[in-house]
Amino acid sequence: MAIKNLRVTVEEVRGFCDMPMRPGDYFELRSGALVFPQGGRFCMWAMQSVMPFLPARQRATDDPNDWVPRVERFICPDPDGGVVMKIEVIDDDGSVTAAPGTSALSSAKAAVPLANAKRLVADPLKCTGCRACELVCSYTHFKEYLPHQAHIQIVTDDEACTDTPMTCHQCGHAKCLAACQFGAISRHESGGILIDTQACTGCGACAAACPFTAMKLRNGKASVCDLCLGKPACIERCPTGALSLRSLKGKGE
Amino acid sequence: MLGYAGKTLRINLTNQTYSVEPTPTELMRGFIGGRGFNMWRLYYETPQQAGPLHEDNNLYIGVGPLNGTSWPGAARVNFSGRSPQTGNLGDSNVGGAFGPEVKYAGYDQVIIQGQAEKPVWLFIHNGKVQFNPAAHLQGLDVVETQASIKKTLGTPRVQVAVAGPAAHAGVVFTGIFCSGVRAAGRTGMGRLLASKNVKAVAVLGHTAVRAAHPEKFEAMVCDLITKIKQHPQYAGRLQMGTTFLMSALNNMGALSSKHFQEGTMGTINQVSGEALAERVKVKNRGCFSCTVPCSRVYKTEYKGRKMVGEGPEFEGLMGFSGRVGASSLEFSLSSCNRCNRLGLDVITTAEVISFCMELHQRGMLTSAEADGLDLSWGNEATIAALIEKIAKREGFGDVLADGVDEAARKLGRGREYCMSVKGLELFMADPRGLKGYAAGLAVASRGGDHLRSEPSFEFSNDHEEGIRRYGAAESANRLAHKGKGRLLKDFEERCALSDSLNVCKNTLVNMEIMLWDETAQLLEMLTGEPWHGDEVRLACERIVNVERLYLARLGMGRKDDTLPDRFLKESLPTGESAGQVVDLDSMLDEYYTARGWDVANGLPTQAKLDELGLRKC
Repeated sequence: MAIKNLRVTVEEVRGFCDMPMRPGDYFELRSGALVFPQGGRFCMWAMQSVMPFLPARQRATDDPNDWVPRVERFICPDPDGGVVMKIEVIDDDGSVTAAPGTSALSSAKAAVPLANAKRLVADPLKCTGCRACELVCSYTHFKEYLPHQAHIQIVTDDEACTDTPMTCHQCGHAKCLAACQFGAISRHESGGILIDTQACTGCGACAAACPFTAMKLRNGKASVCDLCLGKPACIERCPTGALSLRSLKGKGE
Repeated sequence: MLGYAGKTLRINLTNQTYSVEPTPTELMRGFIGGRGFNMWRLYYETPQQAGPLHEDNNLYIGVGPLNGTSWPGAARVNFSGRSPQTGNLGDSNVGGAFGPEVKYAGYDQVIIQGQAEKPVWLFIHNGKVQFNPAAHLQGLDVVETQASIKKTLGTPRVQVAVAGPAAHAGVVFTGIFCSGVRAAGRTGMGRLLASKNVKAVAVLGHTAVRAAHPEKFEAMVCDLITKIKQHPQYAGRLQMGTTFLMSALNNMGALSSKHFQEGTMGTINQVSGEALAERVKVKNRGCFSCTVPCSRVYKTEYKGRKMVGEGPEFEGLMGFSGRVGASSLEFSLSSCNRCNRLGLDVITTAEVISFCMELHQRGMLTSAEADGLDLSWGNEATIAALIEKIAKREGFGDVLADGVDEAARKLGRGREYCMSVKGLELFMADPRGLKGYAAGLAVASRGGDHLRSEPSFEFSNDHEEGIRRYGAAESANRLAHKGKGRLLKDFEERCALSDSLNVCKNTLVNMEIMLWDETAQLLEMLTGEPWHGDEVRLACERIVNVERLYLARLGMGRKDDTLPDRFLKESLPTGESAGQVVDLDSMLDEYYTARGWDVANGLPTQAKLDELGLRKC
């Protein structure tokens, strides 16, 4: 009995994946080896949810009581992510066909929060390190120019000649939001994080919780990217188009 | 006045003390900023008798009103003092992010006085100045020094200006470097900083820059960004930066090939800006707040060694290719990078090396005199070895380390082949093919330098505009002499504007993105006080005049406004500028007349000084 080769492809992202995984991302199982497309990557958590089924799906079985061959879609265990993966069989001629299955995930899409949320994505190879984004961010939020208080910060390395924009990741499972005990942090429908400066006590728990050092304290209050409520000024000002908004559910917009 | 920090920081290295004083309002009104402030101090404050390496020769660091705002390319800073390289006026300007950080630290100008007893690096932060021991930094190159200080301070956001190891070894043509290998390269400001026993100046600031009318100011910024992006030069500058000049000047027959003996390069396609962009460029980098990020990061190999680096500008690329008779892109990149790392000025380094090669070609200098090095044109090993020897002042390098005029004096020959004016070595274009630039090099206040005027209008061939602006159609023709004096006066003032607002000259001067009235309007929105276009232009004229007064005090005048004989007497053999020589006197007459200076001695008349409200010191 021949062992089948399989491909696992992200079919849909219903929620707010932090990786982020995007529709079309895939990996393959060829014999006993995992194979990734060049430069490809795959979320470990999403992958581990599908892994136990793969050895079984590689083998034909005619037992009518075995449900494994008929399951073709899996969903990542992160409830905010909603990453749906599909298993397909790679035929001997290289073509891919869906395994004989029937399942379609039935959870209502509308039930997933943040349907329109977006994330600010930076391309370090386009970033010139000019920091115009920092300046326009400072101006837009505070009507003054001081890049150190901007919500986006460029980290330059003059030895390697690299420039890396650092900004809020608009995490689906935002640690800052969870860390705030005073209800001062909420999320705008754009995906941006909002601070209620009245409620904020400046305790700094959110800044300590942020894994990306994007949350800062300014004048004793939490301060972070609000995505300019959907139209980030930094994207408009960037001279090389290094910044963009990506939908969390699919490719860029 | 908003826009200005309003404060000047004075650091005394001898006593390790510092103080803060208000920036005089008359200075803001009369000299705008940056170079204007520095030149005012150099003339009125630096003691007349202080030699270039005397502890009383202050180093001035000046920024302008637009630094720190979002004005596209308001990134620059001027370092000034009496030049250890020329003995005359010293001033150099650099982009990156150091200038704006000085403003965020809360200062319009930093004055560094005296001499530290032991090597130090300074940290200017939160209204304080720290004097830190720098013995451990002495062996490090300019990028390593910046990285080391950033690591010590625990933040990559601090900006560090550095004098390289060559400056500390006593080489006079050494610059001050910041934001990696960005160089305030000319007139030996690195040597001046090193002579004060300062390895580096680090700045980090948290003072916001505010505009009086933020919305209107920002709207003008947006308009200017659009104007820059729609400019015909935009795409080319984004692709190649200033290296587009390699092919452009080759086509005009005005390159400095083999030390100004040939105006063109047969191998131009191997080292052109296009070759760099197409073959080895990885991405663009830009100065602070730049809309036309023109610096190019390259990745390549030279002699099996991998290189990642930034730049170079046209000057460096040509300096280590055509000027020295070499034609390898990788070699030129490698040499520029090495000079930068060591803290050397690429223009002067290329001049002293090509000078030796021409002497050798003429049988005036033997290999035995040059530590056994083969001085044939384009010998890469020799050039690489000379860079190292110069930086250490070792062997024959010691002969070259004081600049080309001194090298000729020490050798006792070759004075006629020194390509310098007022002690400063000339750039990479041949003045015979660019008559306005030729006159500019002759009169430039810091010596043989193109960045005091850059009269790029003469490339335009826009004869109607030439008549309108300068009363001569010929002013728009690079090979003609007529109208060039008036053209030069105007462009000197445009450059003074750029250097005192401390913004990018590519956009302000070459792309002509903004002039007097727009500047006045911008300053009005920024400062909240009325400014007039005439007042701004007059301030720029005042800057040029105060520089002239400084030179006059050193005994200089028309007799020093000249060019090497080659450009006045020998014509170019081939190319689109073949047969050309420079008729300097006619242009100088026109220039002094346009300036309201005495045509006989080339100095400001009392009437002109009265008009500008300048007093002699």
